[in-house]
Amino acid sequence: MDQQLNWKEKLGAKIPAELGREIDIFEQQMELRKAGKIDEKVFAETRLRRGIYGQRYDNGQRHDGKRVQRLPFNADLVKGPDTFWDAPGMVRIKIPFGGVTPEQFETLADLSEEYSDGVTHVTTRQDFQFHYVHIDDTPALMRRLAAVGITTQEACGNVVRNVTACPLAGICHEETFDTTPYAKATAKFLMGHPDTQDFGRKVKIAFSGCEQNPCGLVTMHDMGAIAKTRVVDGKKVRGFAFYVGGGLGSVPYKAKLFDEFLPEEELLPTMQAISRVFARLGEKRNRARARIKFLIAQLGVAEFKKLVAEERQKLADDPRWTDFLKSVNDPTEEALKAGISLNGHQRPEGFDAWYKTNVYKQRQAGYVAATVSLPLGDASSDQLRALADIARRFVKDTLRTTVEQNILFRWVSEADLPEFYLAIKAIGLGAADAATIVDVTSCPGTDTCKLGIASSRGLARELRQRLGEKSLQLDEAVKNLRIKVSGCFNSCGQHHIADIGFYGISRNIKGFAVPHFQVVLGGKFHDNAGEYGVPIGAVPSKRIPEAVSTITEFYMRQRQKDERFQDFIARIGKKAVKDLLEDLTKIPTHDVDRSFYSDWGDPREFTLADMGVGECAGEVVSQAEFTLAASERELFEAQLLLDAGHSQHAVKAAYASMVRAAQGLVKDQNPMISENDEQIIAEFTQRFYDTQLFWDKYAGGKFAEYLFKAKEFVGAGKTADADRAVQLLQEAQLFIDAAHDCHNKVRGGIASAPAIAPTLQPGA
Amino acid sequence: MELQKLNVKFFVEQPDKIALTDFIDVFHSWIQATDGVYHDVADYSHMQAGPGVVLVANSANVSIDESGARRGLLFSQKAPLTGSNQEKIRAVLGAALDNCRMLEAEPALKGKLRFAANEALLSVNDRLVGENSQQSFDALKGDVEAVARQLFGGANVSVERNADSHRQLNVHMRSSAAMDTAQALRNLTVHSPIGGALT
Repeated sequence: MDQQLNWKEKLGAKIPAELGREIDIFEQQMELRKAGKIDEKVFAETRLRRGIYGQRYDNGQRHDGKRVQRLPFNADLVKGPDTFWDAPGMVRIKIPFGGVTPEQFETLADLSEEYSDGVTHVTTRQDFQFHYVHIDDTPALMRRLAAVGITTQEACGNVVRNVTACPLAGICHEETFDTTPYAKATAKFLMGHPDTQDFGRKVKIAFSGCEQNPCGLVTMHDMGAIAKTRVVDGKKVRGFAFYVGGGLGSVPYKAKLFDEFLPEEELLPTMQAISRVFARLGEKRNRARARIKFLIAQLGVAEFKKLVAEERQKLADDPRWTDFLKSVNDPTEEALKAGISLNGHQRPEGFDAWYKTNVYKQRQAGYVAATVSLPLGDASSDQLRALADIARRFVKDTLRTTVEQNILFRWVSEADLPEFYLAIKAIGLGAADAATIVDVTSCPGTDTCKLGIASSRGLARELRQRLGEKSLQLDEAVKNLRIKVSGCFNSCGQHHIADIGFYGISRNIKGFAVPHFQVVLGGKFHDNAGEYGVPIGAVPSKRIPEAVSTITEFYMRQRQKDERFQDFIARIGKKAVKDLLEDLTKIPTHDVDRSFYSDWGDPREFTLADMGVGECAGEVVSQAEFTLAASERELFEAQLLLDAGHSQHAVKAAYASMVRAAQGLVKDQNPMISENDEQIIAEFTQRFYDTQLFWDKYAGGKFAEYLFKAKEFVGAGKTADADRAVQLLQEAQLFIDAAHDCHNKVRGGIASAPAIAPTLQPGA
Repeated sequence: MELQKLNVKFFVEQPDKIALTDFIDVFHSWIQATDGVYHDVADYSHMQAGPGVVLVANSANVSIDESGARRGLLFSQKAPLTGSNQEKIRAVLGAALDNCRMLEAEPALKGKLRFAANEALLSVNDRLVGENSQQSFDALKGDVEAVARQLFGGANVSVERNADSHRQLNVHMRSSAAMDTAQALRNLTVHSPIGGALT
């Protein structure tokens, strides 16, 4: 009988040898870890490189809204820092360029049912994720994925992550050429490559077929390639505008142009050379400064380029650099049916609205690409199986995940669309909302992520429902806006590139922790993530839907003819928007309405990092709170200066706002603290940095270092260009957010402030 | 066939009486009332006919499940079961009914929630243990019928399978006689103690 076999035996040769060996090695490492023969931290990176993440409660405790409870995991052993061995965790599944098949859908459906909670989640980088998976189940899960050609290898960890690409590649009207074979070759070449195994942090790579559309989001990646052609000796040759050093994260950087035309044969060796330079010179100890973007900011792109060129010269020829080029012109896909236009076919109810938002006419006549919108990126096992059946009815293996957490069916004969629509509608996936304000993108946030501060999925769910109810009445200009939500400043929800973005923060209101979202406006999804938005102000989480209504209604009232949202925000200025939201920053007191003190979809009293803050400290507003509020106001003024083109003044004002926030914290312990920045920073360092009171559980001293860096920058009288000024202002925002957190933490009694005698200031 | 990873679903009568999201608060109150038994509540209320609201624990998940477009309580055993196959089936049916009873008794839901105990869907959530084939069904049928007769107090029992080969091996057991969860639980325990162990 089958039950005598395990999955390795049952699947046998269906598992590709290379992937099978990798999984065997991992299984052995699990055994060695259980036997105490592998160091905990080493195993943590080992499992991460197989896509296995700890989830939020993995430190063995969870705040249940009343108290911290220890969770009864059976093992004493942990699988990595703070992660209990048998605590169910997350598994990320790498899908290069988002390419997926019906057979793979069926396997994912089975696995999510058997090992997860029945949900397969599409991420903002075209991956899939399962949650609540037990680590002992992961080798079997990996083998079953491998048997259908999928790997979790290097889906996480300090390696090259999933290589993403425009989901319209090969069918797009505007692309220069199909980047799919290049993305595929890159993913294959760099996965497990010896030169990509010693990074201080992850590397993300993206491909785009054109400059103007958003699909590839090239400029927010560590390495990004935009398809280009050039005529050389009378012959059209392919290459890429190649970018390096982009990234979102807490402080977003736009990628710099590395080479305006990198010939196709130089693509892989250049990436290899960059990997070697990054591995050699990139930061290793301080994770917060370890992405390529920081190395390039430190070296300058010219010096970085020189080092890469030198490294390139040292590389021994590798046939894999160019072998794949022989077939880049071969068709990568084929249609199941002949391309026939829709003319004259009967259209079911709801079809026209769906067609308008979810259908893209391919450049190949008679064919369309249809987006199936997944609410919050989630598909149930039944839905995935049904989608596999639908795929087999209408297309071949031509499905792609998108960075907007949806599924794209390519090569659908247009005449089949009414039937296709009815089929997806029957499984609850016929919403007419792709690429609209209703199709809110979100990271997992506090639902499952250890770093989450506020409930991004809860907010996204609420916005989706409210906006969905009135979507047919929305003006086109509003309907076409994008909302993206992150649970914290780390930007996995890509809030920086949304028209309206949000990231979770916590604020203390009269002694209670209150979930808030920082409103980030004016980001640009188009032009490969062409602009990053800037923070406007913090609004309580439960007031965010009102904030969205207020902003969009204001836009409708005040916009000039055909004015885009980014231009509108730039024209009216951030102060006007901030004023507009001012009333929404106020909430009833805790005894009047407690709902504001809980997050979306979570009845528990809000608390940070499951650590039990939020005890009522009475009605008295301390000097520290006043000073923290002043720091926010000063930072906002800095933003206005920056908007007016006064970068230098903006930088100084932002620095002053950070000093003000530091002063606020110090005031709680030393009310006599002076106005002198040297003194404030010295006391802040002594009382909050050296004692680690200011430290973030995961980011360590990173936010305090922003203050020290700003002091050095301003003190040295350096000139700030616009990019540096934007970064410094964003760092100031994060520092002030961290100061609030620290203040909440200290007042909530989580960490007692060590007794350090007040220092008398000269002239105080 | 040595059964493991059994799922049992009991269906809700009149599901429209309660919003799915109401169960989020109830499950959180269960977390607060127990000392670390449950890990988390996963909210999938935005999905159509999805897993609904899931209360996650290490050994078993409990969810208000909407798959198949029918709301019910789904008990998903994850930790290994011991005993004979009949004992294992009886153990998960008993655990599922216990959870149904607890929900029916919740003050916030009282009077609005009732489970129909004369129908249950059993599935084997491990395709290595058993694929959804006629052969597997035949191997399982006798044990399920025996436990179903006990569950339904000797009433006529029907067991059938959804033959879709992509699905988990499943058995839908029904009795024509209406029954509440208290009676079903008594039936399971009166004639013989619930054997098997949920670890």
